[in-house]
Amino acid sequence: MIAATHAPLNTDNKPVLSLQNISKSFPGVKALQNVSFSINTGEVHALLGENGAGKSTLIKIISGVYQPDSNPDNSLSKHKRTADDTSKIQLDGITVNLDSPRTAQKHGIATIYQELLLYPELSVAENIFMGHAPRTRFGTLDWTKTRQLAREQLASLDIHDLHVDQQVGSLSVGNRQRVEIAKALSQNARILIMDEPTAALTGTDVERLFRIVDLLRQRDVGVIYISHRLEEIFTLADRVTVLRDGATVGTRDVSDTTEDLLINMMVGRTISELYPKQPSVIGAPVLELENVTRAPLTKSISLCLRRGEILGLAGLVGSGRSELAQTIFGITPAQSGKIIHKDRPVSIKSPAKAVELGIAYVPEDRSTQGLIREMRISENTSMAVLKELSNATLIDTKAEQLLADQSIKKFAIRASSSEQLVEKLSGGNQQKVVLGKWMASRPEVLIMDEPTRGIDVGAKAEIHRLMSELACQGMAVLMISSELPEIMGMSDTIAVMREGELVATFDAADATQEQIASAMMGSGTTTRTAAAGDEAVTAIHGTASSQPGIDP
Amino acid sequence: MTSDNLPDKPASVASGAAATGEATGLSTPHHNSAGTNRNSNLLRRVFLSHEGVLLIILIASVLTLATQTDKFLTTDNLLNQCRLMAEVALVALPMTYIIITGGIDLSVGSILGLCAIVLGVAWKNYGLPLELAIVLCILTGALAGAVNGFFITMVGVPPLIMTLATLALYRGLAEGISQSRSVRGYPEWFYQLGQGQFWGIPSQLWLVIIALLISGFVLSRSIFGRALYAIGHNETGARYSALPVDRYKLIIYSLSGFMAGIAAFIFVSRVSTTRSDMGTGLELDVIAAVVLGGTSIFGGTGTILGTALGVVLIQLLKNGLALTGVKGDATIMVIGLVLIASILITNYARSRQSGQRSEH
Repeated sequence: MIAATHAPLNTDNKPVLSLQNISKSFPGVKALQNVSFSINTGEVHALLGENGAGKSTLIKIISGVYQPDSNPDNSLSKHKRTADDTSKIQLDGITVNLDSPRTAQKHGIATIYQELLLYPELSVAENIFMGHAPRTRFGTLDWTKTRQLAREQLASLDIHDLHVDQQVGSLSVGNRQRVEIAKALSQNARILIMDEPTAALTGTDVERLFRIVDLLRQRDVGVIYISHRLEEIFTLADRVTVLRDGATVGTRDVSDTTEDLLINMMVGRTISELYPKQPSVIGAPVLELENVTRAPLTKSISLCLRRGEILGLAGLVGSGRSELAQTIFGITPAQSGKIIHKDRPVSIKSPAKAVELGIAYVPEDRSTQGLIREMRISENTSMAVLKELSNATLIDTKAEQLLADQSIKKFAIRASSSEQLVEKLSGGNQQKVVLGKWMASRPEVLIMDEPTRGIDVGAKAEIHRLMSELACQGMAVLMISSELPEIMGMSDTIAVMREGELVATFDAADATQEQIASAMMGSGTTTRTAAAGDEAVTAIHGTASSQPGIDP
Repeated sequence: MTSDNLPDKPASVASGAAATGEATGLSTPHHNSAGTNRNSNLLRRVFLSHEGVLLIILIASVLTLATQTDKFLTTDNLLNQCRLMAEVALVALPMTYIIITGGIDLSVGSILGLCAIVLGVAWKNYGLPLELAIVLCILTGALAGAVNGFFITMVGVPPLIMTLATLALYRGLAEGISQSRSVRGYPEWFYQLGQGQFWGIPSQLWLVIIALLISGFVLSRSIFGRALYAIGHNETGARYSALPVDRYKLIIYSLSGFMAGIAAFIFVSRVSTTRSDMGTGLELDVIAAVVLGGTSIFGGTGTILGTALGVVLIQLLKNGLALTGVKGDATIMVIGLVLIASILITNYARSRQSGQRSEH
């Protein structure tokens, strides 16, 4: 019954929202230039583009966070928007001014960001009706009705396994996302923007999300769907719009396009090889671990990192891969076992010691671990090598500047200058700053933890090429990745971790995806078949997310 | 008028630090986004920075107060104010470091009291040579600070809780050791630092100036200073960048105690007596000065120059208002209002600045 009240009266194929010639610039960067975009009722419209292509800016304009630049001819007043043909936003054919997130919300535009904005301490029902809960005759909150409506809202989305009294903080990411969707719909959203909704999801959660998106389509909600995963776009979307360097490259019906074509549109060139792994000469061991243990997730690990070798470390999320990396890097020092650095036993008690031994760690979470986002590019680039850049204890700011400029050039970081704050950069460029920072320390052992997570295809290939180059120059690389194609494509040797133990090691040339997958899950688990995409990978993710802890 | 150059004596010291601070762009370290044309923006940045705003408020206050009473803008009075603010100034330096890292040290007043008592009791009751007692006094401060630092870094007690606990603990110790008796009758040479002068300038002012220059330089130019900003913005990120986060935090809390120890020595030397309630409430004066100086309580921003201006402004307002006959309570209110106003003006200036930048 709720679904019925939401159904708008629009007929199919009529744009509910259309943007024309939208531009937006920030100091030093033109984020969007004359972008046009429209979405029909009951349509899933994918938005595709590399990091920094302007997707985030565009959705922030649609959701009222940013205001587009006014037309250049009447640029003086920022707020006065004329009915000029050159730049406008229309809802149901009427020009609107989305001057704040609140206005956008009133117009039925809801956004689900990557970082979910729920109150973890409150219940599901309270979250869904936050700010617009039904009231009793006396003006107090009507809890019975709130809970009943919340139940109906969830049921209308075919969600039956969530209890409305559950605390949101105790839910999995996938469930929290469902709550967020229910919340958006409870505010009569007609347009739902989903910013990389599957980035943090795995297997079954992804499938369930797809079913919900399908339901939304049936309810005539327009969904703007942003994702880096091309296969999702083919499963889910009706149309796709590709952005590149802040401009629209084109809009296509998904049925009329191919993956290659989309990649071509995104990067402006064809990527023949996403995994440009060059054969390298594998030399002497640089770092050997013998029974290294650190409670709770590093259990008696023995590993050998050799010059010129890329060791791919596979495993489910929570299998202890990052914990192992942090133990090697001295953040959580080993409690027992031996670490041998070039035939000499060493003890790595701090990151400083690890850096001294030529170990660098590009961490999984670049915004909290990898970078100081509030500081400048130059200050971030120099952070691991401040000692080298200083005379006695004073920092040589000229040398620092030079290093940053070199790094920007070498890694093609898109920034207005080395003085720019890192938080103003796009995700891919931020990752390049992290790489630049650690390359400055000229490491012999490079640990990369999910090096291409949340990064677009172009930057991904670039980072892979760099990784291969470094290995060819004799660096030992330990690459942690949850993407099996990446593990298969880049590694010389593949090691698999499960529940804190190293369970298998393969020579990359001989290994098959199935072998690695079954090692990751343990032998007892049955492989599930998925509708689309890579079966093994989907199955793995499914196991990881739906039944944590049930794994044998 | 010889007295004319005196009110801004501390300010001109501070602007010496400003020159180095500006040259490295560290005066308002992390709020200015990339300035493309640095030279033409320099003047504007100086006046739009929090330090610039404070300087203007300071000059305006001095001029206003000078017209209200002729006792304010005199050499004697201003030199005397320098004496009075020395302790706050010294303790405010490491406090700036601590607040930049996102921490806080509430125990400095109690450490000062404890150190003063140790000085007096060690000399009078235990018959130690006074020189040794002074060393012991300063070491006690450093140790008390190190205890704070140890529990904060190694045990993970939040700085606010830890130093709130030691605020009570150290004061209790001071009272226990002193048995509520004051110590007086120090030899004449002991008063040199607190009451004497050197080339016409109060002795402790020299010490303050030296400490100010060193700590400003360290904060803006050294690895240590850079690391403090990094820790304040993102401690995890700093740790993952191989900066010795725990060691540096231990150092700043120890330094805070050490400075409180020196301040205790100066304090006793200035007032000629030792009592266990010395330095009560000092922590609030110090924190107010640091925050007025533009150091963010959330960490990541702040300068020594700002802190210096904050200390001077508060002291001159207190003194000037008292001289013009304003009652104590009203003085505190004025200081509170100035604190709020300075922060509002800076925020306004900054939002205008960034607004203009995003326009073109």
